[in-house]
Amino acid sequence: MKFRVFRYNPGDTGPHYDLFEVEEIPGMTALAALISIQEQQDPGLSFRSSCRGAVCGTCAMLINKVPRLACRTQVNSLAGMKDQIHLSPYPALEVTIPWDHDTEILIEPLPHLPVVKDLVVDMTAFFDFLHTVNPVFHPGVPVPEKEYQMERLAVKDLETYTNCVLCGACFGACPVNSRNPEYPGPAALATLYRFHIDPRERDHGSRISTADTKSGWWACEFHTNCTRVCPKGVPPSIAIGRARNELKQKGNNQVIPDPGHDTPRRGQGN
Amino acid sequence: MKESPIIHCHDLIIIGGGLAGLRAAYEAVYGGINVAVISKVHPLRSHSVAAQGGINASLGNADTTAHDSWETHAFDTVKGSDYLADQDAVAIMCRNAPAAVIELEHMGTVFSRDEAGRIAQRPFGGAGYPRTCYAADRTGHNLLHTLYEQVTAKGVMFYEEYFVTSLVSEGGSCAGCTALCIPDGTIAGFSAKATLLATGGFGRIYERSTNALINTGEGLHLAMEVSVPLKDMEFVQFHPTSLYGTNILITEGARGEGAVLLNKNGERFMKNYAPGSMELAPRDVVARAIETEIQEGRGFPGGYVHLDLTSLGETLINERLPGIRQISLDFIGIDPVDTPVPVQPAQHYSMGGVDVDVSGRTRLPGLYAAGECACVSVHGANRLGGNSLLDTLVFGKIAANSIIDDLMKLDSPACSVIVKAVESERDRIDNLFHQGPGENMYKIRDALKKTMMNRFGVYRDGLSMETGLTEILALGDRCRQAGVPLRQAHYNLPLVHYLEISGMTRIAETVARCAIARNESRGSHARKDFPLRDDDHFLHHSLAVPDRDGTIKVLTSPVNLGMFPVKERAY
Repeated sequence: MKFRVFRYNPGDTGPHYDLFEVEEIPGMTALAALISIQEQQDPGLSFRSSCRGAVCGTCAMLINKVPRLACRTQVNSLAGMKDQIHLSPYPALEVTIPWDHDTEILIEPLPHLPVVKDLVVDMTAFFDFLHTVNPVFHPGVPVPEKEYQMERLAVKDLETYTNCVLCGACFGACPVNSRNPEYPGPAALATLYRFHIDPRERDHGSRISTADTKSGWWACEFHTNCTRVCPKGVPPSIAIGRARNELKQKGNNQVIPDPGHDTPRRGQGN
Repeated sequence: MKESPIIHCHDLIIIGGGLAGLRAAYEAVYGGINVAVISKVHPLRSHSVAAQGGINASLGNADTTAHDSWETHAFDTVKGSDYLADQDAVAIMCRNAPAAVIELEHMGTVFSRDEAGRIAQRPFGGAGYPRTCYAADRTGHNLLHTLYEQVTAKGVMFYEEYFVTSLVSEGGSCAGCTALCIPDGTIAGFSAKATLLATGGFGRIYERSTNALINTGEGLHLAMEVSVPLKDMEFVQFHPTSLYGTNILITEGARGEGAVLLNKNGERFMKNYAPGSMELAPRDVVARAIETEIQEGRGFPGGYVHLDLTSLGETLINERLPGIRQISLDFIGIDPVDTPVPVQPAQHYSMGGVDVDVSGRTRLPGLYAAGECACVSVHGANRLGGNSLLDTLVFGKIAANSIIDDLMKLDSPACSVIVKAVESERDRIDNLFHQGPGENMYKIRDALKKTMMNRFGVYRDGLSMETGLTEILALGDRCRQAGVPLRQAHYNLPLVHYLEISGMTRIAETVARCAIARNESRGSHARKDFPLRDDDHFLHHSLAVPDRDGTIKVLTSPVNLGMFPVKERAY
């Protein structure tokens, strides 16, 4: 199996792509292929990894033009674009290099974040956006002596969003994040919604106002790329839709901006 | 001329951003301490995030007729440890357990609930009551994210992707550390009155491990390099049920919810090993049972048995074990709702670690340790499932409070000491580049993993271990000669891996020496040549004491008994 891999080293004039051939073993993941390249062919190849079991969120990258966790992606599911996830278009999805998608797997860094080296991106902006929604629990009063009592159904609703591993796949998949530098992105908004619906919260039911701005809930254009790429089944687009409905019912009438009004922003590498 | 180094100054630096590190950071920042966390990864990528099944606390929510208590929890823990745990330390952990869990719930962790809306509790191996609190099968993920939210809200400083290369020991105390900034390749100095090691386990010295790729045991190696002893290193836990092939963890919670183990004849073989507890015997017992089935030809070709969840039903699996279902689908293409999951034992946890007392203090003033990298000891020769998350929260907090108490007595290190240390680390790393490229270091690492798996695995014997030690020492020599294959400032993975692998050979040596010295079977340490426990000669901790010249001596220290008499251990 061949891998066409994005390369960039600070100081280079621009990125380039290298082609590697890796012997495919049954059950091989994209991460295992990258490890094999780094250990046996090119020690200088840089990428992040940690759990290798799709629970820590470290290795999100653009694989065959879809943001995915490399450790969760089976190589045989990629050959010939068999399991391709179809996404609403944005600039990073354009194919600008020669790439034979029948025989090669294309591996690039997660879009919309600056590249540190090769497949390693600087996640600072992603986490800064997360912190704009004040992602911390405010205990409702009175604080009980033991645990807060909670309905199982409420737990189930919360789990839908607490399952987020903050890998950034949704951020890299969002057409709005590709051009709106103010938009906190799907993960940050889903996290805000998680606190909003927590029945134990002091500010239960009122936290969505934090993102009641043109570049907050109202900037989403419902491409739903976020929900389609999430490796943990978290649906940020549903959270955003529900938040907007709630705000509308409260009489908020923010105008949804038309797509394409903001200046386009190239995400990758330069 | 070289640039003068950047020195970061804090009262407390915590090395490691997993649960122990973040729980300590939380305590310290609320105590008004200038604290920073250094980690080789983003804190949320720490291995704590992968903990699945739960955290033990005698909340008594699942009580029926009998009542759970911290004393019962302590008894189960001590018996599970094969009587090697220090009973005073176990008492501290179990007494503090309910508060530790409630505290995290009050910080926002979404635990699963019972019908009455209280925190749900499930049965776990070696426990007399359903005592394990859980957040489906993503308990570590939920706890870690909660603590991360709390400490970032309080403005704790993080140095992410800094790989600590040495501790600075000066005038008989720890003065801080030096670290490689992975993104740009510079070496920074960290000056601190107190340094807390919270670096997790060393599972990746084994060929088969449930651990994250990052679990290479740096904290233990750093401690050794400043002559701080490691304790009980021979006790390495093998989890009975890791996914065949990738060895990704399949939680004990699956058996807690009713899954059974079957050999290739479809026989529920645990009845032959632990008729009283069956699949919910402690991990060492179940791992040995599976290993025996495989060795005696009753496993499936390739070396695995079946974990059968099919009787649980789709609804329960989706509610309580959704992560396990997803892992099985993603990594082996099997849906546990209708097909048994192939599982085999794999290294999972290090009971041993940096020798600390119940306050988290090491023998070097200014140096502390907590969590899996430390050995208090609360797990003795075998840890019970659900006690490791508890250990991180309870002893992370205790270590931070010890540090708060000690800070007045500890001096601020002289900056010149740290500068000198950075310069010496720069030279050392420079030499590694000059040395390379030699032998492919990954071959050395893979050989080490094989030696550990084959000679220091579930079953051990003296002759094989002696050969293993010789192999480890030879691999250490080869590693020293290999060097780093490329000079690259930004994100130089081979440099990071080289530093990890050279530490791994040293840690492996301590496991080997402690294992060879213990001529008995106790908990996870099962000797074929000494199949019985020998309390007359071995009811003591092992201490691997590194000398300045690099040699490692194995000494002993007493076990604190007192609460529960030492008895035969049967399940």
